Amino acid sequence: MTLHFIDYLILALYFLFVIGIGYYLKRQVTTSSDFLTSSRSVPLWITSLAFVATNLGAVELVGMCASGAKYGVMTFHFYWVGAVPAMLFVGVFMMPFYYGSKARSVPEYLKLRFDEKCRAYNAFTFAVMTIFSSGISMYALGLLFQLVFGWSFWVSVGLSATIVLVYTFTGGLTSAIYNEVLQFFLIVLGFAPLAFFAVHRAGGWDGMMARVQSKEFGDAIVHSWKYAGSPESNPMGVEAFGILMGLGFVLSFGYWCTNYLVVQRAMAADSMAAARLTPITGAFPKMILPLIVIVPGIAALALTNDPNIAYSLPVKGDAYDYDQAITTLMAQFYPTGMLGIGLTALMASFMSGMAGNVTAFNTVWTYDIYQSYIRKDAPDSHYLMVGRMTTIVGVLLSIGAAYVATLYNNIMDLLQLVFGFVNGPLFATFLLGMFWKRATGHGAFTGLVSGTGAAALTLGLTIAEGKGGWIAQIHEFPSAMAQSFWVAIFGWTTCFVVTILVSLATRPRPEAELKGLVHSLTEKPPQEDVPWYMRPAPLSIVACIACVLLNIIFW
Amino acid sequence: MDLRTPSGILFTLYGLILCGYGLIVPGATAPLAEFNANLVSGGMFLIVGVVMLWMAKRAA
Repeated sequence: MTLHFIDYLILALYFLFVIGIGYYLKRQVTTSSDFLTSSRSVPLWITSLAFVATNLGAVELVGMCASGAKYGVMTFHFYWVGAVPAMLFVGVFMMPFYYGSKARSVPEYLKLRFDEKCRAYNAFTFAVMTIFSSGISMYALGLLFQLVFGWSFWVSVGLSATIVLVYTFTGGLTSAIYNEVLQFFLIVLGFAPLAFFAVHRAGGWDGMMARVQSKEFGDAIVHSWKYAGSPESNPMGVEAFGILMGLGFVLSFGYWCTNYLVVQRAMAADSMAAARLTPITGAFPKMILPLIVIVPGIAALALTNDPNIAYSLPVKGDAYDYDQAITTLMAQFYPTGMLGIGLTALMASFMSGMAGNVTAFNTVWTYDIYQSYIRKDAPDSHYLMVGRMTTIVGVLLSIGAAYVATLYNNIMDLLQLVFGFVNGPLFATFLLGMFWKRATGHGAFTGLVSGTGAAALTLGLTIAEGKGGWIAQIHEFPSAMAQSFWVAIFGWTTCFVVTILVSLATRPRPEAELKGLVHSLTEKPPQEDVPWYMRPAPLSIVACIACVLLNIIFW
Repeated sequence: MDLRTPSGILFTLYGLILCGYGLIVPGATAPLAEFNANLVSGGMFLIVGVVMLWMAKRAA
């Protein structure tokens, strides 16, 4: 694709605005808590959109469009099963403990609720994973821009990393959050026309569905649940139980409820009510996003192989290269001008993901590692300085991780597996910690470690699409996705059971120490005098009903 | 800071650039496009941008 002056002008304007926002917010940063946690000052509508946007990185955007082309309507599960229920749960049930306790981060909550070793385990694994995720998405962006726009790999990596560095260094978390919302608007406005043009060209909604039905998977590609009875009959190769338990429960709750990357956005809200509502109001845009990020993929599949339309998904080896779905559509539907918008929206999605990683890494490093283990009693200005320096170090480490990824292509697959081992069990620890006062630090720690071990063992003993099975092959899954869901299920269950058993065998903490940290020992947040639609519980019931309706409509 | 102000300004600018370009060079179409994509999308940006600015002004 060739870019013209006007496309670059659009991109340059965007850079100017994100840096401008960071610069404007600079004067609000005077303490380490301003820089690292926004001092709990951000209004609700901003935090909820940021909550959604920080997850909408470039890898997610490209990947969801690819999955739309590959799995069709079943891809909606990633939003309606794999995100919305967990977002409602964290808002209604878990936020009171995150926001209500004095914790500044998720690892710090583990320290308050359990003990030092649980915090250390969570903080270190989180810090390492954050840097690698950020590096992997940087690597993906570099490759994409090289392929599509012919930019040199290190130019796009260096440019985007520098811009993110500038606006997070100046304005800290607040700047990252405000920019995430701007980026969210840009992604939506930049890709909505693409979805509309592509679906229109494919013959409207019904025409598009009729076209994809005539392909390899037949009717199964236009239904989300109808063919989920057995893994062989649907394109994803997963059965309903795996979707509900693996994706809908273990993976999704593990991510949305315990991952500091997203929870940090809610904890920056200006009141307890706003913190609880952040993920709940965020669930509404989250529900509609598939129309913009998944539907173009389905349209790409519909347009492929029509003799009257000169478009086809690119081929790699003997299969389609689904990851190129979104960019090839841009080339077909966006002229000079809109192409600049599409390029900017891709850049924006990358930056919102990366800034999320960088700001979460900053806080965990500065508060949970540096202040806890390296230098305890320094004046606050020292930690502000460390926070700022960590921003630079975090960005440099991410670039390093991207460099490693260019050397070993398979490292991305490997890392994603390892992340799965660590993340799978996490939600069991938080669930027991928040709702069972008898759970102990020793129990939680042994649970986490053995859950991670069990997840690794499951992968070592099973095989799917040539993955796993390095110990023995006692079971074969129909797809790698089914395998990853089951790895998570085994990790979670092991952590849950081991935590309970070890907790019962160890000495509980006195109840007085657990006030504000465990459900049964915490006073209910006072019912504020607001209309029903501004209260967490009724609003999440509305969201629940909407989500169920969507599942029924796309049955 | 009211984020609607900077977002509104940026989207209004995008709207003006795209609509302007769409009007001056209506032939700038992509292979599969059925519309003047710049004009259509530019209109959308313009509306969103102006509404944001109006909301920010009303709130101030």
